[in-house]
Amino acid sequence: MTLIRNNAWVISLALLLAVLLAITKAIQPGFGAPGLESLARAALPFAFATAGMAIVVIVGGIDLSVASMMAVCAVTAAVLMERMAGIPALLIVLVVGAAMGAINGALIVLTKVPDIVVTLAMLFVWEGVALLILSTPGGATADWLEAAIRGFFLFSWLPKALLIIAIVTALIWAPLRGTKLGLSIYAVGSDERAAFRSGVSVGRTRVIAYALCGLFCAFGGLSLAALTGIGEPVPGPYLLAAVAAVVLGGVVLGGGKGGLLGPVIAVFILRIIRTILTLMAVDPNVTTIVEGVIMVGVVMLGTALTMKGAQR
Amino acid sequence: MKTLFTTTAALTIMASGAFAEDYTIGVSNTVQGNGWREQMICAMRAQALVEPDVTNIIVAHRNTDSAGQLEDLNNLIEAGVDAIVLNPSNPDALNSALENAMAQGIVVVAVDAGVTADGAYILSNNQEEYAYLGAKWLFEQLGGSGDVVYMRGIAGVSADTDRDNGFKRALAEHPGINVVHEVFTGWQQDQGKQQMFDFLATGIPFDGVWTSGIDNVIVDAFTESSAPLVPIVGADNAGFVQYLSTVDGFEGAAVTNPGSVGGAGIALAVDILNGNAPDSHTVLVDPVLWENTTDEGRATIANAQNPDLDPEWPVSVSIPGFTDYSMEQIIACEGPSGG
Repeated sequence: MTLIRNNAWVISLALLLAVLLAITKAIQPGFGAPGLESLARAALPFAFATAGMAIVVIVGGIDLSVASMMAVCAVTAAVLMERMAGIPALLIVLVVGAAMGAINGALIVLTKVPDIVVTLAMLFVWEGVALLILSTPGGATADWLEAAIRGFFLFSWLPKALLIIAIVTALIWAPLRGTKLGLSIYAVGSDERAAFRSGVSVGRTRVIAYALCGLFCAFGGLSLAALTGIGEPVPGPYLLAAVAAVVLGGVVLGGGKGGLLGPVIAVFILRIIRTILTLMAVDPNVTTIVEGVIMVGVVMLGTALTMKGAQR
Repeated sequence: MKTLFTTTAALTIMASGAFAEDYTIGVSNTVQGNGWREQMICAMRAQALVEPDVTNIIVAHRNTDSAGQLEDLNNLIEAGVDAIVLNPSNPDALNSALENAMAQGIVVVAVDAGVTADGAYILSNNQEEYAYLGAKWLFEQLGGSGDVVYMRGIAGVSADTDRDNGFKRALAEHPGINVVHEVFTGWQQDQGKQQMFDFLATGIPFDGVWTSGIDNVIVDAFTESSAPLVPIVGADNAGFVQYLSTVDGFEGAAVTNPGSVGGAGIALAVDILNGNAPDSHTVLVDPVLWENTTDEGRATIANAQNPDLDPEWPVSVSIPGFTDYSMEQIIACEGPSGG
């Protein structure tokens, strides 16, 4: 029972996703494995941006520069893969991503300027860096990178893109969560002073959390490059989408509570809603309104249910 | 597979008689809130409305990147559309979805810009002809000799390169014409206006101005510096066309660069679905020139103006020979079944 109660939000989200998939199938009976596969591919960059954002929100911060860091990583990947072997290029991109995140975190810790201000400034800095690397869309990606996210793995219903999201997120987050560092991230997020008095190195924890966010953004940028086959220097709409999915996924803005599974499921919910609206041929100017209303509605309902549960 | 089946079924029915078909057309665009693009979307809806064979249009229209356009294209494929008409965000980035669509028998038409996917049709305004037409009018207006100012767009952008080729072609045909000043406006109103102020201040005499669409502010620059007006060539932007009929002593011409090329894209997609594919995969729409120095030209300009028209839209709302809707229908901006 406690397992269900502790994960009530994530379970509800999974149920909501199942309902939405059923609705999609009802509207378009032809929706099947290929539809799921393109949904998983579309979710790739959003899922990684959201996972990164979730970690910095849990540590009590926010990173407004995620979309710009993804753009830097995408153009870096496209420029490098045109000139050198794919695997070393991929590793360089991951290092670049983590380094950008660490710079964000270090600036916040050293200057003591609020996270939102520092990362807002860095949004413009990383955007400029992306344009310096590649002033117009271009470059090329390795063929295997494009193939890696397309199609199915082993089973005809398991999209490779979904598997990649699961593996990357699990490899980075699962081993960390139970360790001292993982606990420190939650401790700093829920009460920085208490964490400090318990002997947690607050600054170091925050820098590492931001570096992890940068690492996820590197995966996000690689997904963009893999999807399009090129690098685009202008950041896409990933910042607000990531914040939305983090909130919908049950991570408390302010820190200390939540995980990565909820936000990643939330990403799929937001993507499938767009698919449903497209299938229903809803006026595109109304689409964004509907997306926003559904999001606020779900979060409000969730908060109401949680408060009711707490009173009992 | 379903789409392939319905397309095959549709072709069979079509061969057997003159039934109206039942096409659903998907539209994908990634710039929202820009006058030219909004006109393009409305032209697509209006043309879908008047095509008897089109029963539904699904419009995916938002501000996004290439990955977002890929998502929209895949959603349109899932929706089972018969044709996709898109304004591509990038020529190379969308091939995975476009190739997937064509493999399922979906007709792909790119409007305004090209895509590199094999088998896709491309329909766009002929930018070289755009520049040639305006430049030729200007040079003839000057009697074949004189000094002109050449105000271009953005260096390296394909539309600017194409227009430069057209301008150079007209220049080669008129050896008496001399370019005294060449400048890139960046297609920015304020920048173009300042550049004209600066050049007027130098006092270097000139006889005419060719602009790449930054036009009404150039007329403003003349009137605000009380300089005598010279012939000016611009695009069919509402502000400039209005000046052509209202500013005293102003001689000029507007060359059309219609956003309604989107409507032409829908018409082309329906033609291809009905088995009337054009010979070439690239179709260019030739512009027309509206000048205010003849009665005939003034009448054309007067006809094109409509107070209900959005001031941000190009004034040419239709393309003769391609689109079939009325001005009321494009202003209403409604497709079949409200799409």
